[in-house]
Amino acid sequence: MAINSGDSPAKSDSRIRLWNGIIIAITVVIGLRLFYLQVVRYSYYKQAALNDQLKQYQIPATRGLIEAKDGNNIVPIVLNQRLYTLFADPPFIKHPQQVADQISRIIGGKPSSYIPELTVKGTQYSIIAHKLTQAQSDAIGKLQDPGLGTQGQYYRVYPDGDLAAQVLGFVNNNGVGVYGVEQALNKQLSGTPGLLKAITDVRGVPLAASRQNTQIPPVPGENIVLTLNVGIQEQLQQILAREYKATKSQGVSAVVMDPYNGHVVAMANYPTYNPANYASVSNPKLFDNNAVDYPIEPGSVMKTLTTSAALNTGAITPNESFYDPAHWVIDGFNIHDIKIDGGAREQNIASILALSLNTGATWMLMQMSQKGNTIINGHGIQTWHNYMVNHFLLGRPTGIEQGYEASGYVPPANLNDPSINLRYANTAFGQGVSVTAIQLSAALSSVLNGGTYYQPTLVDATIAPNGHETVNKPKILERNVVKPNIGPELEPLMEGVVKAYLNGGFSFMNFPSNYIVGGKTGTAQVAKPTGGYYANIYNGTYVGFVGGNKPQYVIVVYNIKPNVPGYAGSYGGQPIFADIVHMLINEGYIIPKN
Amino acid sequence: MLPRAGALRERKRATLSDTALDEAITVRRHKPDHWLMVLCAILLAVGLVVIYAISPALSITTGTNGSYFVERQALAVGLSIIAFFVTANIPMERWRKSYKLLIGAGILATLVAIALPVNPNYPAHRWVRLGSLSFESVELVIFSLLIWMAHFLTTKIKKSQISNVRLTAVPMIIAILIIGVVVAFIQSDLGSTAVIIAMMGIMAFVAGLPLKRILIIGCIILLGTTLAIAAFPYRRARLEAFLHPTSNCQGSDYQACQALIAVGSGGFSGLGLGSSVQAYGYLPEADNDSIFAIYAEKFGFVGSIALLAVFGYLFYRINRVATNAPDDFSRLIVVGVLTWISVQTMINIGAMVGLLPLKGITLPFISYGGTSIIFFAGAIGLVYQVSRYTYFVNHGARSQFNGRNGSDDDSSHRRGVGRAYHPDLSGRIDG
Repeated sequence: MAINSGDSPAKSDSRIRLWNGIIIAITVVIGLRLFYLQVVRYSYYKQAALNDQLKQYQIPATRGLIEAKDGNNIVPIVLNQRLYTLFADPPFIKHPQQVADQISRIIGGKPSSYIPELTVKGTQYSIIAHKLTQAQSDAIGKLQDPGLGTQGQYYRVYPDGDLAAQVLGFVNNNGVGVYGVEQALNKQLSGTPGLLKAITDVRGVPLAASRQNTQIPPVPGENIVLTLNVGIQEQLQQILAREYKATKSQGVSAVVMDPYNGHVVAMANYPTYNPANYASVSNPKLFDNNAVDYPIEPGSVMKTLTTSAALNTGAITPNESFYDPAHWVIDGFNIHDIKIDGGAREQNIASILALSLNTGATWMLMQMSQKGNTIINGHGIQTWHNYMVNHFLLGRPTGIEQGYEASGYVPPANLNDPSINLRYANTAFGQGVSVTAIQLSAALSSVLNGGTYYQPTLVDATIAPNGHETVNKPKILERNVVKPNIGPELEPLMEGVVKAYLNGGFSFMNFPSNYIVGGKTGTAQVAKPTGGYYANIYNGTYVGFVGGNKPQYVIVVYNIKPNVPGYAGSYGGQPIFADIVHMLINEGYIIPKN
Repeated sequence: MLPRAGALRERKRATLSDTALDEAITVRRHKPDHWLMVLCAILLAVGLVVIYAISPALSITTGTNGSYFVERQALAVGLSIIAFFVTANIPMERWRKSYKLLIGAGILATLVAIALPVNPNYPAHRWVRLGSLSFESVELVIFSLLIWMAHFLTTKIKKSQISNVRLTAVPMIIAILIIGVVVAFIQSDLGSTAVIIAMMGIMAFVAGLPLKRILIIGCIILLGTTLAIAAFPYRRARLEAFLHPTSNCQGSDYQACQALIAVGSGGFSGLGLGSSVQAYGYLPEADNDSIFAIYAEKFGFVGSIALLAVFGYLFYRINRVATNAPDDFSRLIVVGVLTWISVQTMINIGAMVGLLPLKGITLPFISYGGTSIIFFAGAIGLVYQVSRYTYFVNHGARSQFNGRNGSDDDSSHRRGVGRAYHPDLSGRIDG
């Protein structure tokens, strides 16, 4: 154009064409680049996109309810409630003060307390509050604030507060059952979570209608109907709370069991807690169900089992008498009674139990060794060991539906042990062996029901999501614990113990005559962790039964280190047993003699 | 009103007598190039469709009403049609005369944008608020520079000063320096700065500024840019990020990486109009600077090439208008518009496909945002106006006149342009 510089219009045109050529060249380069990205490298970028966009979610299954019997009804004792977590996406909160005011109007609290979480930097998910109700969540939704959201979550609800707390356990923040039934039956209760694979937006919200989306619906958990009787359970808990204080105890536990099927009708410990507030419990020992996870040396209550074994082997007969020398020297140690009742004299089987003679229990082990003699030998040790381990199933978990069940301990029948005779003489009266309350209940039940060991159970039935009910049949672990006649032989011996205490001034052991009540106290020495026993600390234990024509319930009581003016078994364990039996009779739970 | 072919007359006067010139040069008025309108309409429609398709995503990620973006964009399209007809019908001479007013408005808008920021927390003050509307000051600056450059260069051609460095190159360098300080540094809008420099450079090049001088100025600018980058650590980091575009996908390269994923995952035929995923918050500025990546994700390689073809054909049509422009001013305006639109398109798409660093400028006609499409439609309106006229030489012109194609016969290029010849509209401009 500028002709004075010699340019011609043709040159101007050629400059435009040059520029146009450059534009075309760049466009071609971009086109080639697009070919490279979209065709050559397509699968790489497709995968990169899916890595970002395709997310997997578990769809939680609804957890099964836990129910129990209340009279003739089945009532839920653990329910689910859907509560909501309120969260914010801080970059989308345009006016934090205003939003905080709105939140405060809906869920309470000071507006200023929400400001920090609403304005936190570097996150798109900031939790504002937990456990909003459905109504509150709806109200938040009505605000239509893109920076706020709620997320539903099921929480366990306990309409009866601390009822059977340690039997139930609880569900932790991760949705996993811990302790008790919740732990033991977690799989059944939790069902099978569903799976959602979905292309989502950047916040993780699934986009509708994507070909990559797949969904497997969740299968809800089963409902569990417990064997617990709500009425008995409630009263048992009240009794334990009362006696815990009255006996200045460090902990009490009790089991009420139906001996004919192993059903646990009531099981409780004190102190306890409310599972709804498990998160605020500072001492995790409160979560323990000591009736199944706290084995102790049971003391003289063991004599009921020793007597049963000795009767069953024919080593003794129920009416047999023997000369009690008041002490035995075994492996160089003296065995004598805790009670000193007049020293050496003629005694019988009934008085072994009534007076709780350690010398008598030792004598029964001697009879199992060699009838008519007063020595302990390998045969007797092996026989008694066999009864403890293979008949009464001690030293191993019973398999009750509880978390953290303990095994207890039975000393091995090691005949090379130089003090094995002493060790085993001790086990005959419940020392040097450790047993849980549930183990004792099941073992005594097996004797009283005619010799069948039913696995202790808390589950009466399970109800599938489709409503189909499966009754939990009693599971027999051992058929020939003792011969059928041993129970009827042991019953009057144990009734005799109750009568002896009544006659001895324990007026609370007076029960109506149309019921049978039998029992046995135990005052157990407490082993030091360093070996040996404490001088003045005892655990009080009690085993017994109540019924009409036959034993209806077996009851085991453990009272840990009570501070009472007398024998721990008589003054710490026995009153609890008496309270329970009176309650059962008074409330009409026991069918009387006809 | 017919534009004047003053510069052409000046040019011919050097070799021809006035009479001969008058006989030789004729500007003919005829139907405008409707392709310009059609191609722009296609691009605007594509933009509206893409924004409509990603509206659900936009409403989720920005928390707005579902139809908010489409309504705003439709309004902008309406305004851009008005802008198109306004610029197409205000005669070139009047545009030329109003360059001072436009430059003044551009400066004022920039000052207002810097002094009265719409969002004080955002360091790049680029926006001017007019009541409830706001627009980007730099678009007005580019438009005013377009008019000023065309006027300035035409004047220099007329005075035969186009090769004079002091009189021609120095004012341009000063203008570039001011723009470099204000737009590149204060408003930190490197993309627009690059567009402005390219536009001014190409206009000067076409006006006849010696290539050697343009190259020297280009080297100086390159040196200055290098120094500017070296002086600011964050710019250095950006350059490094560009050289290794996927090294820090969770950090500074996030947008670049997500853009590549969007483009690449579109594959050969795309995910489909309603199936973009990257728009759901993964790719920032999905409606705006990154809209090409979303388009490529939806329509794949086929759709991307088709869009490039539409842009390419638009550039070609503008180019044809430039070569047939009736006078220097019109021709430089058209070349400036061509450069403005094409360079901005290249920078935007180049960044989306990982060939250039991200610059934060819109894709002409497609990106969401009123200012951008209104000014581009206005710019095309100017081209449309120019396309009404074809410069050609009379048959009776003397043989020593060296015509455009080196021939006295102008029918070849008329036919080449493909416009109908309307004798009733033709006429000698000086007649």
